[in-house]
Amino acid sequence: MENFLPVLLLLFFAVCLCIGIYTVSHILGPKNPNASKLSTYECGVEPEGSARVPFKTHFYLVAVLFLLFDVEGVFFIPWAIIYRDSLKEGTDILIAGGLYMALLVLALSYIFRKRLLRLH
Amino acid sequence: MDQFDFIVLAVKTLVILVLIIQVVPVMIYLERKIAALIQDRPGPNRVGPLGLLQPVADALKLLMKEDPVPSNVNKFLFQIAPFLAVMPACLSLAALPLGDFFEIGDRKYLLQIADLNVGLLYIFAIGSLGIYGTLFGGWASNNKFSLIGAMRSASQIVSYEIPLALGVTGAVMMYGTLSLREMVFKQSGLLLGVLPNWGVFYQPLGFLVFFVAAFAETNRLPFDLPETEAELVAGFHTEYGSMSFASFFMAEYMAMTTMSAVMTTVYFGGWQIPYLSDEALFSMIGSRNILALIQVAVFFTKVMVFMCIYVWVRWTLPRFRFDQLMKLSWGNLIPIGLINIVLTAIGLYFWDKR
Repeated sequence: MENFLPVLLLLFFAVCLCIGIYTVSHILGPKNPNASKLSTYECGVEPEGSARVPFKTHFYLVAVLFLLFDVEGVFFIPWAIIYRDSLKEGTDILIAGGLYMALLVLALSYIFRKRLLRLH
Repeated sequence: MDQFDFIVLAVKTLVILVLIIQVVPVMIYLERKIAALIQDRPGPNRVGPLGLLQPVADALKLLMKEDPVPSNVNKFLFQIAPFLAVMPACLSLAALPLGDFFEIGDRKYLLQIADLNVGLLYIFAIGSLGIYGTLFGGWASNNKFSLIGAMRSASQIVSYEIPLALGVTGAVMMYGTLSLREMVFKQSGLLLGVLPNWGVFYQPLGFLVFFVAAFAETNRLPFDLPETEAELVAGFHTEYGSMSFASFFMAEYMAMTTMSAVMTTVYFGGWQIPYLSDEALFSMIGSRNILALIQVAVFFTKVMVFMCIYVWVRWTLPRFRFDQLMKLSWGNLIPIGLINIVLTAIGLYFWDKR
């Protein structure tokens, strides 16, 4: 755990940096707001309704696929770390990796078959 | 760990943080100069000799600008978003090894904030938190351009996270570790007596995948769809001004620096000088601390080369369309990443059997 003490220190400095930037820019910057300055900037056209509109569910789908694949990708990493050491003891690790890879390729081809990534 | 160690640690952390933040103004200057070179115009040349003080003038100008909070935004999220973008960018540089070590008296200190045994995973994990800044900023702005920019950015970053991880998996298999420091040590020496023993010569395909994905992760051209000027004004930071805008800018450049540093460390031998081992250099100059300075200089030179490639690509390639972008990630980079893992596995099997 002692390894992560410097990370906490860095976090502390990063927070200080953010607070510093915020305070300095608020002290130095002028403050004279007016109505047109505070309106939404949509190329000078009057904003039409709220921006909180529903958008395509495809974005949600991409996020779900990302979750699946990222977790699968991360599972590869412990396998990758021990790969060379385990090779000395036999080819079990090669077979295990191959099976896992086959599952991944199957999942990826399913995504393309179903055209889940067609964005329009 | 006693008090002295702690003070050295704190100073070291602060110095490394400031050093990496200083890459931002240098990079802004270089970017404008290289852009000018490519487009055959002089570029910034009024402030200071050769325009060298331009970034300072820019920073001062941004600090002294008004930071308006538009009336119909979600105020808390709007104001906190730029800092949510900067903080992960700062945090992710904890695992970068800038050099071997330096000495004070007879104590050794690593030229790295923390030698984490999960270094590479840590950088990816923290680095991808930066997306919260983008998403919150875009959503809280209550502006359609910002929202579209933020959504694009989110799906782009998550799509390219996977090739990024798959790209380095090959290198991790080769090195058998996630600690960036150990990776650098494993790249010392020569390959076949001619080339430096760098990861890129073993993993060209993995490097290519990582390189392309790194561009998309940092929202740079040709993948800067979240902020396409022509269609989305400025994307997710349309409503921001003053230092809030500068924070997003800083976060982007720091993410670029981190990505370049990871490429340097994993594929290009980190702080090592090709054809000249650390020990040989040490016997020539005879001081560990000067050696450490040289290593940091070499490291930053390599990083700056990658940063210049970022700029070069930016002014050379046109922008992708959004569906092309998604197709490139899911249809091309992920399969290539998987093929690279298979090739590496088979290659290592035969290499180790020799």
